[in-house]
Amino acid sequence: MTQNTGPSGVKRRQFLKVLGAAGAATTAVGCTNEQVEKLIPYLNSPDQTVPGVSTYYTTSCRECAAACGIIAEVRDGRAVKLEGNPDHPVNKGALCAKGQSGLQGLYNPDRYRGPMIREGGKLVPTTWDKAIDTLVQKLGESRGAAANAAFINGPDSGSFAGYLDGWLGGYGFGSHLQYDPGADLAVEAANLAGYGVAMPKLDFASAKLVISIGADYLDGWGASVPQQMAFADARAKLADGPRVIYIGARRSLTGLNADTWIACQPGGEEAIARALLSAVGGNGGTVAAAAQASGVTEATLQGIVDELRGTKPSLVVSGVSTPGAGVIAGLCVDINKAAGNVGVTVKPGEALTGFGTSVGVGAMQGIIERANAGTLKLLMVRGVNPAYDTPKAMGFAAAMAKVPFKVSFSSYPDETSELCDLVLPDDHALESWGDVQATPGTIGLQQPVMDRIFDTRASADVMMMAARKDATLAARYPQKSYRDVVVARYGSAALTAALPKGMVSGNITGRAAAPMSVPAGAMGGDGEFFLVTYPHATLGMGEGANKPWLQELPDPVSKIVWQSWVEIHPATAKRLGVAAGDHLTVTTASGAVTAPAYIYLGIRPDTVAVAHGQGHTRYGRYAENLGVNALDVLGATWNAAGGLALTQGKARVAKAAEHSQLVTLEGSARQHGRGIGQALTVAELVSGATTEHHELPGDASHEFLPGLRSPVANDAQGDLGDPTSKDKGMYDPNHWSGMAKRRWAMTIDLARCTGCSACVTACYAENNIPTVGARWQGRSLRPFHTADGAGWDTRPGANILKGREMAWLRIERYFEGGEDGSSEFDTRFVPMMCQHCGNAPCEPVCPVYATYHAPDGLNVQVYNRCVGTRYCSNGCPYKVRYFNWHGYGEKERRQYAFPEPLHLQLNPDVTVRGKGVMEKCTFCVQRVREAENLAKLENRELQPDEFTTACAQACPSRAIVFGDAADPNWSVAKMVENSRGYHVFEELNTFTAVVYLKKVNHPAAGSAAAAVPAAAAAPAQGAH
Amino acid sequence: MATFAEPMRPNIASADVQLPAVKDYEQVDREISATLKPTKGWGAALALSIAMFLMGAAAWTYQIYWGLGNAGYNPPVMWGVYIITFVFWVGIGHAGTLISAILFLFRAGFRTTIYRCAEAMTVFAVMTAGLFPIIHIGRPWKFFWLVPYPNWRLLWPNFKSPLVWDVFAISTYLTVSATFLYVGLIPDIAVLRDRETNPLRKRLLAVMSLGWRNSEPEWRHFTRMYLFLAAFSTPLVLSVHSVVSFDFAMALTPGWHATIFPPYFVAGAIFSGIGMVFTIIIPIRKFFRLEHYVTINHLDAAAKLCLFTSMVVGCAYLIEFWVAWYSGNMYEQDYFWNRVFGQWWWAAWIMLTCNMIFPLSLFSQKLRRNPTWLFILSIFINLGMWYERFVIIVPSLSHEFEPWQWSSYLPSWVDVSILVGSFGWFFMWFLLFIKQLPVVAIAEVKEIVAPKMKRAHGHGGHH
Repeated sequence: MTQNTGPSGVKRRQFLKVLGAAGAATTAVGCTNEQVEKLIPYLNSPDQTVPGVSTYYTTSCRECAAACGIIAEVRDGRAVKLEGNPDHPVNKGALCAKGQSGLQGLYNPDRYRGPMIREGGKLVPTTWDKAIDTLVQKLGESRGAAANAAFINGPDSGSFAGYLDGWLGGYGFGSHLQYDPGADLAVEAANLAGYGVAMPKLDFASAKLVISIGADYLDGWGASVPQQMAFADARAKLADGPRVIYIGARRSLTGLNADTWIACQPGGEEAIARALLSAVGGNGGTVAAAAQASGVTEATLQGIVDELRGTKPSLVVSGVSTPGAGVIAGLCVDINKAAGNVGVTVKPGEALTGFGTSVGVGAMQGIIERANAGTLKLLMVRGVNPAYDTPKAMGFAAAMAKVPFKVSFSSYPDETSELCDLVLPDDHALESWGDVQATPGTIGLQQPVMDRIFDTRASADVMMMAARKDATLAARYPQKSYRDVVVARYGSAALTAALPKGMVSGNITGRAAAPMSVPAGAMGGDGEFFLVTYPHATLGMGEGANKPWLQELPDPVSKIVWQSWVEIHPATAKRLGVAAGDHLTVTTASGAVTAPAYIYLGIRPDTVAVAHGQGHTRYGRYAENLGVNALDVLGATWNAAGGLALTQGKARVAKAAEHSQLVTLEGSARQHGRGIGQALTVAELVSGATTEHHELPGDASHEFLPGLRSPVANDAQGDLGDPTSKDKGMYDPNHWSGMAKRRWAMTIDLARCTGCSACVTACYAENNIPTVGARWQGRSLRPFHTADGAGWDTRPGANILKGREMAWLRIERYFEGGEDGSSEFDTRFVPMMCQHCGNAPCEPVCPVYATYHAPDGLNVQVYNRCVGTRYCSNGCPYKVRYFNWHGYGEKERRQYAFPEPLHLQLNPDVTVRGKGVMEKCTFCVQRVREAENLAKLENRELQPDEFTTACAQACPSRAIVFGDAADPNWSVAKMVENSRGYHVFEELNTFTAVVYLKKVNHPAAGSAAAAVPAAAAAPAQGAH
Repeated sequence: MATFAEPMRPNIASADVQLPAVKDYEQVDREISATLKPTKGWGAALALSIAMFLMGAAAWTYQIYWGLGNAGYNPPVMWGVYIITFVFWVGIGHAGTLISAILFLFRAGFRTTIYRCAEAMTVFAVMTAGLFPIIHIGRPWKFFWLVPYPNWRLLWPNFKSPLVWDVFAISTYLTVSATFLYVGLIPDIAVLRDRETNPLRKRLLAVMSLGWRNSEPEWRHFTRMYLFLAAFSTPLVLSVHSVVSFDFAMALTPGWHATIFPPYFVAGAIFSGIGMVFTIIIPIRKFFRLEHYVTINHLDAAAKLCLFTSMVVGCAYLIEFWVAWYSGNMYEQDYFWNRVFGQWWWAAWIMLTCNMIFPLSLFSQKLRRNPTWLFILSIFINLGMWYERFVIIVPSLSHEFEPWQWSSYLPSWVDVSILVGSFGWFFMWFLLFIKQLPVVAIAEVKEIVAPKMKRAHGHGGHH
């Protein structure tokens, strides 16, 4: 609706013009001309819509194959927040960072504004009439022969696939290819063969032992949210929860959440899997052979084999991405079958049905060959970017250039669409109709949550329009639009009834066929190091790179943003004389990439690793010219299911001359005995060692008030500082105003938290936090600038290099142990936000009362009153206050963080902070007040757990619980009493409102950590 | 010589020991008035100062428009060059008041010839320092919110905040020290008025001298007033920098949260101020040909004070380390280790060397009486005292409780320009001052010079 109002926004003159036009429209309807720009979504609001009050629409998330249900919060016709649908069977209300960032796909400032056509070698804007006529003409020229055209679609497990094939069939073309560069096809194929479903539910909570052979189920592998929920639920069983072992060359986020890491040489996984199969009575291999192949000691492997043999039920998952992945995946199916896990921990009956419908690069090879042979006349691409996300060695882009006419349905200018002759930009998923298979028997519905913002068209509608211009096909499409197709499919009444829930019962038929079977490649390459590449936890295989939230979200493992990196073991780095940030060139037969070194304890000394996702040449301002594309060093090697092998063998690694500071949020990776992220072992938990006090020498002992561990400071205001004062004003819980009746508090269960960072993105979305890492957001390096940006610090993440990220909520990742370079180290993920101290060091130092204590326990920040002395930050021991250095919310500034139309996402309930003020976590005060006001309007008390903060709402691990700690009926009031609870820096008497619950580790039986609780407690709790 | 022994005489000193080369009042008037004649060198220095000031002003304008992000802040190092420089200039001010007020009350004779310079330095240093809290804040156009002024919103500043105390401390200090400077100048302005030929200037000077007629009651009131102001200023020497130190001591930050801070800061302030006095007075006595007024004896005495305060400061440094160790507080211990042997070793050693080790050279009488060495040393002291504040502020903030947020700091061109600009601003005022008003107190010098009407050898040796 809102068209581009130009770089300078709405001019006064324009505004008056529109005002006049709108006035004319109300008096003489039909007399306005169509050029009127609509400034606000609607003047006459639809029924049931109140300006300033949100409406909520259910739909389905289309950011990955998991097909989570989402609820879009829409304010005045604009989607402002995506949250999980609590009733949805897949995600039960949670939503990962990727899913939440769907909004930044919708509002991406680089989206195509309308159809484009190539004229004189350049893509130029055109009209939809002309664009569709061109498409009709080209379809007509190629029709008849199946080989003439090819359609590559992105992952889509809904009925659109069948619709698309029907449309292609009308022209006599073959079925489309559903290409998903990130799908683990080897596992899907093995699961289909073994269990009958591509992605069975992994029931971690039922298992006593989980062994992951490279399956990164917390890093975006498979269905991120449901797996993470199941995993967190399992870990929350504490002593009854499973022990987790991760086998892989690199410790991914999943690996960091495991109790034991077996640093296995790439290619050695198969032998380990065979040894494990023997352990459960299958026809596998020996431990000796596994030790030989994997570079792991026989004793270690024997220990795992014995554990698997002796622990029932267990769960073994494979996610290896070597050429031989299919074999390993098959072996894991066999292990689960032999161990009796099927139906117990592996549940095919509750499968995730969004999987098993895609193909990989093996299938793309066919298209490349057809293009090179010149038989392909028409190539259509939608929802995927093969010119970027196929290995360069395969030559997709070069082959594509040989196709006479290329059509893109992409919404964004990307490497593929920029090669096309016609661009028919698709509506975003949040603007269009559709459906998706969520679980067996449940179809997730997808509906537009708002009117489209640019002149785009749903691809299904474009196809319909094209077909209707064809005499022979017109009769097949009597509907007005694809919406009618969807309505007809489910029935108007049924659909109306189902939409508020977001799903209907049933199964979508006519989806893509079973995975292909091709000869698998082999590991190869020469060089000293194994090269492991892996999909970025949030950028995936590059599709997330144009969303600033995801670029700014630290990689959960390395904590690096806006950059590519090469992971290298400290011992190897020392041997090569490489310091953090020194560039390393990784060379294979296919190519080379150069990126700064990240020295990482969690990788084998003979291995280096590079994440995918960066290195875009065309994908919008936020993606371009950042980092390297790891696909450049991969060859055309795939597994038996045609999926690209991300670990293909060896590579040469050399130190390059350059050095770049790592754009990381990490200060120190060690907590120096300060007990920020605390943990205990199962033995300690059982023996009651949790009662141990966290004390500093010389520090006075202190106690918490009963029931409420964190008293509100009675001296929060002026003369009430006297603790003996009887007059506490509104801070008295019995004051007639009732202001101090509540104590808003939060618990964070570190046993549940996996470090996935979905909460961080939720916080960005809810609280209008600017992203600050783009190249143009840096500071000036000298007084005089030129128009081309010289004189500014244009390094990617320049602000973050200066520690100026604005993440109100950050996840600290501390390593414990492993100082000697060994693989036995523990990781603590600590979500850290304003602790809303009862006795806050930030409050008394503010000269203007910009930060003060609310009677209900909130540490309040008044942006309007802040003059920016930053004294509060100096006082804060948690360092959770962030300063607005450049006016990121001011449109005319170079550093503006919300270029049109990204600003449409801004939450109207939260101020967009200006230059020169402090900001910080508010415990989502806007949600607190909204709920209180609603209760007041309805003349009732707040119900326990009636609402929650954005971070707690999004958390797929359900690690965060928010509520009123003063009311025993709220969950949080019970949680703060947990014996695992502790406050960070308790000894400072800050009386924080955030209670952390200690992580629970499951060391191997018989290991030193498991046997001697007292000794293990020391490193776990710091040197106290 | 009963007239000399009068109790009203504020500053009794032995003239023949102090100023053997100053013979009579006319010589004082003549020689000191002669320093007011502008010279080319002075003009060049003033031009340079103004250029430096304009550079700083331009950088500040740039910073106001583009945001504080253009300074070198590296959170959690949220305070940097501006607060360092603020404390630096406030500290500089303290020596002036110490010399003009406390030493006056202590009847320390060596102050007579240097106090005017030190006093003026105080006023201009506080004027410079007062700019920095405004330069430093995120929204400088709202700085007046720190001032308790009546407003319809009934909003007051937070009187618990040390920054509000700062507002009072600095404004009080500026008011009192400016008044003290002006009152001391009244008889001197009258001298200038009497010698002035330009009628306009003469009129102006007449107004500024408040019609001073050199009468007995005037002198009585003047000396009473001067004594009273000296007594009034004396506690300010202690309180202002104590309040400044509360900016740090009241925060929880390791390295800041210490009870030693007020005396430590006061000692440091006086030390740094004496350093700056040397930096200023030594060139002045040379270029203004005042070596026979500001004698080697005076410098020697000031150098002893310098040595003493250096040792107090050094003692405070060592106590800080000892307390960190003895407290058993791991955050403090870790911070102090990092300060001296870790990330910030270079800054800490600049501080320790310049403030603790180099001044030990003043145990040597030969060096105490060597103006060149004193000048060189004073530059090191200025540097060392700037770095002392750097070491207090930056390493603390960059190495606090949360290891995840440990960081670094490097000033940017904006910080450096404004720092340089502050020297430009300070010296601009100072240079303007020294050509308008006498840089050595004429009236007080005359008190230690034999009156002309007395016997030829009547002066000196009588007290």
